[in-house]
Amino acid sequence: MITPRTAIRKMLLGAMIPMGVILLWYFTAPGSVVVPSVWSVVQILIHPFREPLCLDSTSLADGAAVSVLRMLCGFLLAVITGIPVGLLIGRSRTGREILAPVTAVAMAISPIAWIPITIIVFGLSSPATAVYGQNAWQHGVLDQLRFAIIAVIWMGAFFPIVLNTASGAQHVRQSHIEAATVLGAGKFAVLTKIVLPSASPAIFTGLRLAGGIAWRVIIAAEIFPGTRGGLGYMIAVAHETASYEYAFASIIVIGLIGLCFDAVLRLASLRSTRWMVQER
Amino acid sequence: MNDKRELIRFSNAGKCFSTPGRGDVWAVRDFNLLAHEGQLTCVLGASGCGKTTLLRLAAGLEKPTTGEVVVDSSRVNGAADIGLVTQEGNLLPWRKVLDNIALGPEIQGAKRHKRIAAAREALSRVGLPQKVAKSFPHELSGGMRQRVALGRTLCAGSRIWLMDEPFANLDEPTRHRLQGELLDVWFEDHQTVLFVTHSLEEAVFLADRIVVMAAGRMVAEFQVDLPRPRNRLGDDFVNVLLKVRRVFTETDR
Ligand SMILES: Nc1ncnc2c1ncn2[C@@H]1O[C@H](COP(=O)(O)OP(=O)(O)OP(=O)(O)O)[C@@H](O)[C@H]1O
Ligand SMILES: [Mg+2]
Repeated sequence: MITPRTAIRKMLLGAMIPMGVILLWYFTAPGSVVVPSVWSVVQILIHPFREPLCLDSTSLADGAAVSVLRMLCGFLLAVITGIPVGLLIGRSRTGREILAPVTAVAMAISPIAWIPITIIVFGLSSPATAVYGQNAWQHGVLDQLRFAIIAVIWMGAFFPIVLNTASGAQHVRQSHIEAATVLGAGKFAVLTKIVLPSASPAIFTGLRLAGGIAWRVIIAAEIFPGTRGGLGYMIAVAHETASYEYAFASIIVIGLIGLCFDAVLRLASLRSTRWMVQER
Repeated sequence: MNDKRELIRFSNAGKCFSTPGRGDVWAVRDFNLLAHEGQLTCVLGASGCGKTTLLRLAAGLEKPTTGEVVVDSSRVNGAADIGLVTQEGNLLPWRKVLDNIALGPEIQGAKRHKRIAAAREALSRVGLPQKVAKSFPHELSGGMRQRVALGRTLCAGSRIWLMDEPFANLDEPTRHRLQGELLDVWFEDHQTVLFVTHSLEEAVFLADRIVVMAAGRMVAEFQVDLPRPRNRLGDDFVNVLLKVRRVFTETDR
């Protein structure tokens, strides 16, 4: 049960360590040349649309928007492709035997390792170059969604979704499937009415995992040379010019966005997993 | 009775499971059974004698190793319109009661408002209050869950009901009430019922005919001609009960 009292307690306890860190930061910053003052970082955070003066980067809000957009594109692509593949692995023995070893290997490789390869494969192409060709640079947002970057996020998010969907789909109770088949359900009806809802708690676990990975991957990918824009890019250039307050501000925003994204996924999963809580 | 259609026919049907531990296990052997439309047959037998396997053969969930099982004159192939009620009800835990009951019409492609209306009617016919419609199965008692399972079969409009010890987990008063409700439904719609039980009294109370099974075979068959509603304490009832018990204990040895 969530009562106002437990909610307040949860927030207070959860805020304890961040508060401690901020206090520590506040008192140690003046003695360090690298650590920026709390105030200079707060200045950036409360004026997110201000273009940095001494930095070859767009504003904080702009960077965050670009990163989130890239992440969402890669993540949604992974959802659309990962769930069907996961169902195939979970429900078909042949499918499992073909795909399981590949997934296991792919899981072991950090998505970041693919960046050089995706850049060779996709080059500088983006939705903008695909549509506008030479004039792509005029369409800023679309040009930021370079295929090379999206592909890397997809790589990171795809496999956790596949594995969790597959395990959920594989462990559907046979008696639940039979409840539908005796009433005349065909393969497709069994998939949509029994397998998917029954696997949905596992699928949502996969989505949350994938979301976390996608968000970490995009930041790392943006730090990698070859991209422009995004929070990771901002951190990279901030380090080059020793404007550490921008790196700090970016890191805080990264953490907050990650938190929000996970909360959204958790909320979305509540409806379809409520029955799990007390199922006997 | 004999002029009615045959809905279920077992002809020399057998089912053998190959197990790593016990080798080949014949769960059902040389089984011959005819069930006519509207007949309520109880299958009686000790634990492990093959009753569940028999029902699964009829439902098309297992393929016979020998002989054949024909349901409604079409070979059972797994996609028959059959109501199956098991001991635990086998409800879908992620669906609320009403959506569980509406599963049959939903699979048959009925429009949402139609199947909800049908489910609400089935809900009241199996003696459940409308307010449980929005509960999840895990929020219900065992008796209520079995009522929902009955309602699901009723709502699907299945002409053949296969029931595998549906009331075995219930206390006696609840079991008696549900037996009464099953008969009420059956009086109105005259489904063809194969009802598996290991309770002699339940079989005598419900059945038109009792089939006794032992070690996978049919060992005896009785017609039960007692008028309904049956009085469990009446002399006739007790006489039939004793007769069935005698056969049952003899075959058990
Ligand atoms: N899927 C299976 N694989 C292997 N053996 C099985 C399988 N299903 C049933 N059996 C075996 O077949 C025999 C009959 O089992 P069945 O479940 O039909 O008995 P039952 O009469 O329903 O028993 P109970 O009253 O305990 O439910 C048992 O020996 C059982 O071990
Ligand atoms: Mg059984």
